Amino acid sequence: MHDMRFTIPPQDINKEHFAEEVADFNRKSALMQTDRGYKCRITNIVDLTGQEKLFQLRIVNPEERRLFTFLPGQFLMLEVPGYGQIPISISSSTNNQEFIELCIRRAGRVTSALFQAGEGAMVAIRGPFGSSFPMHEMSGSNVILVAGGLGIAPLRAPLYWINEHRDRYRNVHLLYGTKEPSQMLFTYQFEEWKKVNHIDLHTIVEEPGPQWEGRTGMITELLQDIDIDADNTYAIVCGPPVMFKFVCNRLEREGIPMNRMFVSLERRMHCGMGKCCRCMVGTTFTCVDGPVFDYWSVMNLQEAI
Amino acid sequence: MQHLGFSTNKLKIGSFDFTCCEGCQLQLANKEETLPEFLDLLDIRNFREISSERFDDYDIALVEGSISRSDEVERLQAIRKQAKILIAYGSCACFGGVNSLKNHFPPDECVHEVYGDSPVETLPVRRISDVVKVDFSIPGCPVSKDEVERIVVSIATGAMISLPKYPVCVECKQQLNTCLFDLGEVCLGPITRAGCNAVCTTGKTACLGCRGPAEDINYRSFRELVKEHGLSLDEMEEKLRFYNCFEEFRDDES
Amino acid sequence: MIYKVISKEEFSRFVDALIRENCSYGPREVDTDRHGNPVYQFRRVHSADEVAFDYTATHSSAKHLMLPYREELSRFRFSEGDWEQDIEYRVKPRLLVGLRPCDISALNILDDVLLNGKFPSPYYLAQRKNTFIIGMDHLPLPDCFCQSLNHHTVTKGFNLFCSDIGDSYYLSVNSSKALTYLKNFAIGDPTHEDDCRLIERRKLIKQSFQTEVEVTGLPSFLDIEFDSPIWQKWGDKCLNCGTCAMVCPTCYCYDTSERIDTDLEGASRQKQLYSCNLVDFAEVAGGHNFRPGNGDRLKYRYYHHYRGFAENANQQICVGCNRCGRACLADINPKDVINDLRMEKESCMICVSPSPPRT
Repeated sequence: MHDMRFTIPPQDINKEHFAEEVADFNRKSALMQTDRGYKCRITNIVDLTGQEKLFQLRIVNPEERRLFTFLPGQFLMLEVPGYGQIPISISSSTNNQEFIELCIRRAGRVTSALFQAGEGAMVAIRGPFGSSFPMHEMSGSNVILVAGGLGIAPLRAPLYWINEHRDRYRNVHLLYGTKEPSQMLFTYQFEEWKKVNHIDLHTIVEEPGPQWEGRTGMITELLQDIDIDADNTYAIVCGPPVMFKFVCNRLEREGIPMNRMFVSLERRMHCGMGKCCRCMVGTTFTCVDGPVFDYWSVMNLQEAI
Repeated sequence: MQHLGFSTNKLKIGSFDFTCCEGCQLQLANKEETLPEFLDLLDIRNFREISSERFDDYDIALVEGSISRSDEVERLQAIRKQAKILIAYGSCACFGGVNSLKNHFPPDECVHEVYGDSPVETLPVRRISDVVKVDFSIPGCPVSKDEVERIVVSIATGAMISLPKYPVCVECKQQLNTCLFDLGEVCLGPITRAGCNAVCTTGKTACLGCRGPAEDINYRSFRELVKEHGLSLDEMEEKLRFYNCFEEFRDDES
Repeated sequence: MIYKVISKEEFSRFVDALIRENCSYGPREVDTDRHGNPVYQFRRVHSADEVAFDYTATHSSAKHLMLPYREELSRFRFSEGDWEQDIEYRVKPRLLVGLRPCDISALNILDDVLLNGKFPSPYYLAQRKNTFIIGMDHLPLPDCFCQSLNHHTVTKGFNLFCSDIGDSYYLSVNSSKALTYLKNFAIGDPTHEDDCRLIERRKLIKQSFQTEVEVTGLPSFLDIEFDSPIWQKWGDKCLNCGTCAMVCPTCYCYDTSERIDTDLEGASRQKQLYSCNLVDFAEVAGGHNFRPGNGDRLKYRYYHHYRGFAENANQQICVGCNRCGRACLADINPKDVINDLRMEKESCMICVSPSPPRT
């Protein structure tokens, strides 16, 4: 009955040359594995607030650990097997080959599972993905870093970068605002940043508690505290869209050109590879064209703010 | 979940029925291919349909049926007191269900029609959330065992649970079904919450909305399109009323 | 590409031999609608008799054969505090017969989007590479507008394409595999007369279009009209039901989810095709929805289709099959929405010069 002459032969794409051409993350060989992650062990968990924890991850395979490099501002997809994947910006130093740090707020299915996890838990990462802050372009200039709430998480990588190459940058200001004092993250590093790294750090809260002795108000008020040399300054602004809109408009009035201000956008993501379309903003994808955009581009993107 | 460093415990569960056909509970014992594993997740403390043993130390209560008698109110309140998680289970529990049809007729007439000359005490039908706080709802007539399994596994493994927010059309189109509107029927698929895998429409039966409204439905447009397709608004009304799921929208219209 | 001619009877024998030997899909009549018209879908076929070669249009596209509505991306096996991930890209070879030029164009667009970026999709590649495609031309339906988007003809993306030239088919043979199969049947080289008949056929198809959608300059129109009230107007009609995206031959947006097995010993990572019209398309953990309005979501479908996104070189991905327009219960269709958008601009009351008369 069978007439083999008409059988369509199977094609195994795993064997095809094509499979080896395209770069899957940093791994140049097993290229087609776009859904496979680097297996990681959670080596340390720091409780930051009731809402946020800092997870320290170590890639299990030494070869993969060596291959994993990223730039400040890039993000990765964190896989918690059985629970799902989420995009998370990398909060550690680009220089740190041993560990990756992720600052995570408990919000959905994946993060809730992660919050139950203990040290030694096995997860995976894919990435890094997306654009980064132009740290080289900024060298020789002053840098203003502005963070609102959890916006400090994506700022930590550029901050580490600056600290590690401190002589390349002139005055560096970090302006950090949260709603309540208890929500302020990484307070344990403030002294080090100020004293060792000579970062001009200013903090502010909207709703001060009885313990709070610092400034109270909106984050834009902190801009009054610093001298801005508009011709020679870059800004990195992270936080909710309303916040970076106000901050960037304010900085623009001070004379900083829009293409020297950088923001990081957040959207729902399922792939990180420009395929699922969930993170589209205007006509671009947050995952491949972003998450870091200069403010000029963001202003021109419909729906971004 | 050993790979994340925490263990899972069996769920101490009780299953209870009120005014209903007990068909949803029966679903718990369905789907043989995964039944042993499914039962392995549970420590059944109280479940009339499958065991004569009764204990009152359950953490999770599955409550099937609607409330139509005063003694049911007391029983339900006692269950609420014991349960850490109370789940409204099935369309009767979630929305009142078919039982609610009674509410559209004079009470005496209903009692007489059903019980003749030996009347019984009966109240207008209420859903579970009208009487006690409900932590989660699993709609369906009957509930989908696959969805129940997914939710039970989620609770057991400490994962957040959710229902699809989109309407049945998505799942129906995925089955390559012919749209029932094209076949001349009013189908509630466009406004009903998915998760049933479009089981009725795949069998060429119009959706009657047993899973309740999907999120952010466009009821006005739906009503318009029924008219524009030259189909009967009465038929639509009858279907909307069937499980008592769309009362809030029907009120908007009048 | 080489060209051959085959009689319709011989073609039928050829297709039958392929169908019987392989897992095959083709247009089948599955229902009769309330107006007495047949309903077609791409379904499994077991012999050439089951294929409705003269079908009008299938309600759904053949997209699901390349991009399954639901697909397992990978599996996790848990063991002793660790896990292993298994990924399979293997697909059994299939025959897909009866695709129209617009549907083949749609696959070419998906190729561009899914295979030509920095991150090609191995899942799609496996499906595409293992599908043998026989295309067939047809006379357009009254509401087809593929010509407006230049997708009424197709020159790549198939193994074999058949043009109807009366009692025989003019074959465009686009793979050596196809020619090898054809060699077992009575085929001939096209005569001068055959060539003429092919040109006549193409003319006829071209002249048969009754619907035209003006898409030139549409990308910039869309950019200018981002805040146009017409989105609200059509959004008010939209049911958010996702039907348009499901039947569309190019909508590829998706959702992923993970589910732990009932025995807790493994988990499955799954993909489901999604639609930008669905309410939670842009909703993030914590509940914030970046696109809460019906009109906003509807607009995005039009943006994706007629403006294109930077990631795929701003190309329009609509092929003009109008399946979404036919399937939409609320009677939203590209022709009306796009005309509305143009009207909005061209009949603007504050313009200094009068608008040109609409034809």
